[in-house]
Amino acid sequence: MTTYNECVVQIQQMLQSAVAKGEVVGEDVDLIEELGLASLDVMELIEQLEDVFDISFPINELGDVRTISDLARRVQQLTDR
Amino acid sequence: MSLLEKLEAAQRSQDVLKALGVNAIGATIDVAGSATEGEIAGNRVVLAGTNNYLGLTFDQACVDAAVDAVRSHGTGTTGSRLANGTYACHAALEDELNAFLGARSSIVFTTGYVANVGTISTLAGPGDVIVLDADSHASIYEGAKLSGAEVYRFRHNDPDDLAKRLRRLGERASRTLVIVEGLYSMLGDVSPLKKICEVKDRYGAYLLLDDAHSFGTMGTNGRGLAEAQGCEDDVDFITGTFSKSLGSVGGYCASRKHDINPLRAQIRAYMFTASSTPSVIASTRAALQLIGQRPELRTRLWQNAKRVHSALSSLGFSLGADASPVIATIMDSPQQAANAWQMLLDAGVYVNLVVPPGAPKNMSILRCSLSAAHTPDQINQIISAYALVADHLMARPKAVAGGSI
Repeated sequence: MTTYNECVVQIQQMLQSAVAKGEVVGEDVDLIEELGLASLDVMELIEQLEDVFDISFPINELGDVRTISDLARRVQQLTDR
Repeated sequence: MSLLEKLEAAQRSQDVLKALGVNAIGATIDVAGSATEGEIAGNRVVLAGTNNYLGLTFDQACVDAAVDAVRSHGTGTTGSRLANGTYACHAALEDELNAFLGARSSIVFTTGYVANVGTISTLAGPGDVIVLDADSHASIYEGAKLSGAEVYRFRHNDPDDLAKRLRRLGERASRTLVIVEGLYSMLGDVSPLKKICEVKDRYGAYLLLDDAHSFGTMGTNGRGLAEAQGCEDDVDFITGTFSKSLGSVGGYCASRKHDINPLRAQIRAYMFTASSTPSVIASTRAALQLIGQRPELRTRLWQNAKRVHSALSSLGFSLGADASPVIATIMDSPQQAANAWQMLLDAGVYVNLVVPPGAPKNMSILRCSLSAAHTPDQINQIISAYALVADHLMARPKAVAGGSI
């Protein structure tokens, strides 16, 4: 079973290219408003997570994802199914 | 943010396009004198971005049918299909679509957009699942959203990714509607439909094909991509439009496998909007006959498409896909695409400018759509105009346009 923390770490690794070397994106940073990702970037991030965790993320729920924390919580639930 | 502040934000995003220095979005065609020539801002232009694939908008039989119908049946039905808006001509068109497509049942809608939104939002509902191709048209996304079903995307034209999604659904795959398009309208690429059918059959899902751009343009008889790939009996539902190959406006849903008539009393976009005017239905019926009777239209369309595709490739353009009636040239930036669009217009050629967020994968593209009605001279003019763009705007253009000019 995948834990919430494992999901957070995985997402932070995937977002490494969006920040300076050595920096880590905080769990509560807004992916679009603060980190500056385009909605298409968020979609690509989710596609990578789907492959890594063998899950499918409903696009109806995209609007609820603002931070790494939001995303990690939902990914963790989906791996639990 | 107040209600109207959102409008200001929307205006700012349009201003970004204006700042590119062109008036490409919603460019007004002042006169459309024929299927392939019109007038924009006082200049005669070859229309190469109008989806008029078979060039039937000015066909004499279609025009005569429309004129006769408006004189006989008036300018509008003033009602919805379920009230007073079903005339004999609407029912006749549905019968003729059934005969043409070999369908059990068909439903005619007022536009292609409405056909997708209405059909998809009603076929699937809460508790069901929709798995759609990521590059699907806005009307597909809108219908999916409205359905209340759980919605997943699969990677564009990737049957293996679709298979993964259906596997993950387990038993819910049998409550799943998979949605793909035939010919994708932005890049001109084609769905691997036969493989998609194999995957959805393996998992017991249903398939809806939006054949808007392949109806009339593909298949030996013009029945679209499913005919071309030999899988018509595997597709559960086909939606399409009358505003491309059939040269009018309207849409349909048809099925060879299922009786879709019960949907008539459930699809709100059918029940609560006015039906097509009789003149529109009349020209559509005439055009449908011509698709069956004149396969040479498709031959000419593909000859034109292949000629332009080959020439643009030789000129060094990066193209969206193999030759098809839609040829997308992928430009380096929105500004370069806008400059190229204006240069083409100044050279007497109208195409579509598509910049983010309208284009897939944040690309900036010039979208050229060919017609059976384009003459050899007009094709030469299109190629010459692109050669100008290659000469002036591209970093490393090749010198010769494949001897096609």
